[in-house]
Amino acid sequence: MIAMPAPVKRLFEWKVRGVRCVEIIGVACVLALVFSVYIAKAAAARESAEISRIERDIRANRERVRLLRAEVTRLEQPARLEALSREIGLGPVDVKKQAGEAVLPDIAPPPVEKPVEKAPAAPPAATAEAVQ
Amino acid sequence: MSVHDHHGMGYRGRPQATFGGAVSAWGRWVASLVWNLEHSFERARADARPEEDTRVRIFLIMAAFCGVFACLAVGAAHAALLTPRGGVGAGFHPGALTRADLVDRNGQLLATNITHYGLYIDPREVWDIPAAKAQLRRALPRIPAKRLDKVLSGERRLIVLTGLTPSERRAVHSLALGGVTFEPEDRRVYPLGTSAVHLIGRSDTGGEGVAGAELAFDKEIRAAGAAGEDFPLSIDLRVQGVVENELAIAAEEHKVKGAVAVVADVQTGEILAMASWPTYDANRRNAAPDEATLNRVVSAHYEMGSVFKSFTVAAGIDTGRADMNTLFDASQALQIGKRRITDFHATNKVLTLEEVYLHSSNIGTSRLAVEMGGDVMRDYFRRLGLLDAAPIELQESAAPPKVRKWDDSTLASLSFGYGVMVTPIQYVAAYGALSNGGRYVAPTLRKGGRPNAQTHQVVSPETSATMLDLMRRNVTRGSGRFADAPGLRVGGKTGSANKLVNGRYNPAVAVGSFAGVFPADGPVDAKRYTVFVLMDEPGVYPRTGGYVAAPAVGRIANRIAGFLGVERKADRWSTALGEKIPEFQDVEGDGR
Repeated sequence: MIAMPAPVKRLFEWKVRGVRCVEIIGVACVLALVFSVYIAKAAAARESAEISRIERDIRANRERVRLLRAEVTRLEQPARLEALSREIGLGPVDVKKQAGEAVLPDIAPPPVEKPVEKAPAAPPAATAEAVQ
Repeated sequence: MSVHDHHGMGYRGRPQATFGGAVSAWGRWVASLVWNLEHSFERARADARPEEDTRVRIFLIMAAFCGVFACLAVGAAHAALLTPRGGVGAGFHPGALTRADLVDRNGQLLATNITHYGLYIDPREVWDIPAAKAQLRRALPRIPAKRLDKVLSGERRLIVLTGLTPSERRAVHSLALGGVTFEPEDRRVYPLGTSAVHLIGRSDTGGEGVAGAELAFDKEIRAAGAAGEDFPLSIDLRVQGVVENELAIAAEEHKVKGAVAVVADVQTGEILAMASWPTYDANRRNAAPDEATLNRVVSAHYEMGSVFKSFTVAAGIDTGRADMNTLFDASQALQIGKRRITDFHATNKVLTLEEVYLHSSNIGTSRLAVEMGGDVMRDYFRRLGLLDAAPIELQESAAPPKVRKWDDSTLASLSFGYGVMVTPIQYVAAYGALSNGGRYVAPTLRKGGRPNAQTHQVVSPETSATMLDLMRRNVTRGSGRFADAPGLRVGGKTGSANKLVNGRYNPAVAVGSFAGVFPADGPVDAKRYTVFVLMDEPGVYPRTGGYVAAPAVGRIANRIAGFLGVERKADRWSTALGEKIPEFQDVEGDGR
């Protein structure tokens, strides 16, 4: 036999009711491993079922989004929009009635800081002038 | 027991004895094997090498088990850690489609796939056939009666109708009929209906592109679909909508046979809008007449007339044969052989180059072309892409009829746009080259332009700048007045041509066009857009390009400027609001 170091030998000779403790510990470890693998596997199966359910959901939603998007596009056909807006009297805005944000202060000056009563009368007049 | 055995042997004979013998022989063999194994240690010890024997056995068994478990461990670890993400199957994508959605440059939908349903009926499971028939007819009026009768009177489950929309499916499903089932099928739909129909084209029920962009980008659309992405075109749907609406209005106003409008970015060659009138509903293509399904922008050839003078004048300036001060004698008709070339608006005087362009003088451009000669003209026309099919991706892009002769008479005709037929897209590409600094950029429907596009120089940047100035002058003071849009600095050239009918140019059948560019001022490499409108066979007078096409160009430019980010500004001719700035330096005055 190979000469074993004393501590190892003692470990192997440590017995409870004639059964080696090392073996009991080993079996316990194996059981724990088996059980944890089982738990993990079951959890994974549950997860993957959930994932496939969500994926199915996503697919259905995507399908619905596509359908609604197509419907929106159908309703927004340029020819249709133009016909509808002409019908209610809308048309391209005259160039003289267009303004960028840069000229907004000229058209409608921001309210003056001083809380004077007469101040609100001024902006409408200015607006009218600028638009004309 | 032994008595019975003896009896059996005595009466039955050999077979059973043989069977029992075999069993007992096996038993003996197994027993000896076990005995041997159990006592092998003793025998080994007896052979005086006890330790060696046991150790070798234990070692061998352990080695075998270690090997097997190591393999299992490696396999398990590999499966657990190194499997590709995303689960089963390579290249799997939750949103994968056979064909990607087509979108415009801003992501607006042009074409998509919608799950439709096939309607199947199993008559063996239908309880009350006449009632079912009546209910189905009511829920789904377009169901073919013959087919329904045939299926309901049959014996097997058969398809009745394909392409049920989800709402039709719901209607039928809510009847709660037995034996009615649906099977999903992917179908391409074009929710825009009549808009952009020619350029989008279509794909067949098998998912193969057969026309337009669907055919031109077939492979890329499939690749994008597999990756679950959209495939963008260069089109801007807002611009496309304006162009279509204005074109339709103008076409109906002038009672034309056909009409074409194109908006393109001159710097990148991107087509922002492409409209061909008359149009049809993409989802009912079979009902459309042939003249509606033709994409006139890329497939129809026209002799364009005076819009070609831009090319002649540009070539003249570029070769150095003419500049703004060169004079042309248009006081009398130009005689080439037996042919007399006259002006539509005869001025009967000596004209400057500017006046030749503004008055659209056939005599002036003919003189210029004849002076330059056939080789020079052909070279310029070739480099402008006027002699070959336009290199746009659309496979409908048609090659122009070959120009066979390049003699003086032909040159004179070519100089004002007769004797050469081109497609509108060829014209737009060539016209873009005059207004972007002289580079010919191939027109494209790909968003962002072609990857590593090849451009070539046609005219010098200086010539391009001069042409832009001339075009702008033509709109402020010449034949293109109606194309002006307030503050957008529109430049352009009108064109009017009579069509060849039975070998003769018939003045009653005309083509009017206008090629515009805006803004015409600023450096040659600034952002700039061409707007081209062509009216084929206007039915009412006046029929010249300045009246039938130029107003549409002006309205289009006016409405799309905001989408394109072109600001309204004043230039030396008019204010930002479109009022004319009087010209004091003009000695001739504005009396014309």
